[in-house]
Amino acid sequence: MKIVIDRSRCVGHARCAAIDPELYILDDDGYIAGDGFDVPEGKEASAKRGARACPERVISVVEED
Amino acid sequence: MASSAELVRPHPSHVPASRVHDFDFHDDPLYAQKGDMHDAFLHLLNHAPGMFWTPRNGGHWIILEHDLVAQAMRTPEIFSSVGQAIPAMQVDIVMPPIMLDPPEHAKFRAPLNKAFSPKSMHELSVSVRALAAELIERIAADGQCDFVSAISEPLPVLIFMKLMGMPTDRLADFREWVHQTLSNTPEREIAYGKVAELMAELIDARIRQPQNDLISRLIELEIDGEKLSRELLLGYCQLLFIAGLDTVVNGMSFAIRHMARNPVIQEQLRADPARIPDAVEEMLRRYPIAMPGRRVARDVEWNGIDLRAGDLVLMAMPAAHLDPKAFPDPQRFDLDRENVTHITFGTGVHRCAGSHLARIELQILYEEWLKRIPSFHMAPDKKERFHAANVLSIDYLPLVWNV
Repeated sequence: MKIVIDRSRCVGHARCAAIDPELYILDDDGYIAGDGFDVPEGKEASAKRGARACPERVISVVEED
Repeated sequence: MASSAELVRPHPSHVPASRVHDFDFHDDPLYAQKGDMHDAFLHLLNHAPGMFWTPRNGGHWIILEHDLVAQAMRTPEIFSSVGQAIPAMQVDIVMPPIMLDPPEHAKFRAPLNKAFSPKSMHELSVSVRALAAELIERIAADGQCDFVSAISEPLPVLIFMKLMGMPTDRLADFREWVHQTLSNTPEREIAYGKVAELMAELIDARIRQPQNDLISRLIELEIDGEKLSRELLLGYCQLLFIAGLDTVVNGMSFAIRHMARNPVIQEQLRADPARIPDAVEEMLRRYPIAMPGRRVARDVEWNGIDLRAGDLVLMAMPAAHLDPKAFPDPQRFDLDRENVTHITFGTGVHRCAGSHLARIELQILYEEWLKRIPSFHMAPDKKERFHAANVLSIDYLPLVWNV
């Protein structure tokens, strides 16, 4: 599973990091620090919840199989 | 705060009669009729178009529907933040960054992002918790209090005043001024003047002797390689004054009022404090308090509605969050609500810079209050008082509990 983030549309709600601060890393201003990541095994549910928490809907979950 | 008759203006020709609805967001009789400001907005959702023109307060649009509010706030090229006050101000005040549009907005916003980042605010947790505990301990044995003057006013306002570097002994004066700056009366311009005068004094004192506070940091701030002009520095400080002194206060009051009227929520959270962060979010969704304004930048047809440059638009956040299309069964406080992605702190580039501080304060207040105060209720023999403006405020909230 992959997380893809449209960073340009992040406005810094920081809800993703409130769900999982280890997956969703913020920069010093409190905006998302990266464009996405491969979800480590066992963290799928948390990654999905973090994506769903974004009020701007800029985080997508890409399922691979 | 009666709005004067001269503020009533017949609707302009580009507004069809079908989109006109009479509502005075500063002082509508519907607030008193419903006995609850959020219920008034729920009523509007059922009886007025999702976006309508009201002749009150100089004449302006009000957007109720969630989808339209979110769209408008994410479209600053049409819904500009420059000159957003409703009714329009007699004096031009520029408060960066809230009254600026992209691209200028970003460079004035960046310093606030740093100052109010989740990390910086987290460091305040210890002092917020200590003050919360102290204030609550003071009244716990009384079995009653006015929650506003005892807790929700001093807690966030003292934290904020210390952060800014404002004299905390003048809390009562400052709270009066901030209510005046948000009013639709001639007192508004006078109050802005008072805030500017105070901030000018504080700025001068910090220029002579810098402190570890926000005012001192703003003085040192460079944007495009230059220090801020006196005017912009004052504007910044005026914004922080208003934003810091009348927001979390009401977020706390509405939450505790809801719990007082629904003791089962208190029990649930006392039994399982791990649910408090979820409760804070759902309460923010259920009771938004801020209603920002915007000014239409150019003539445009938007979602089938004719807008003219200069039209003022109020974002009715309380209505948007009670819109059943976005939140089914919207009146229900539901800890397990799917998708609580509220935009109570706004959306788009102007997302409330203080949101991280607000969340920490709310969370700590819930924890400390529920830990120290047993089952509490509205005082049966007293009546709460509230007033509306761009911020919905509870002025008096009498509570009782057994001791």
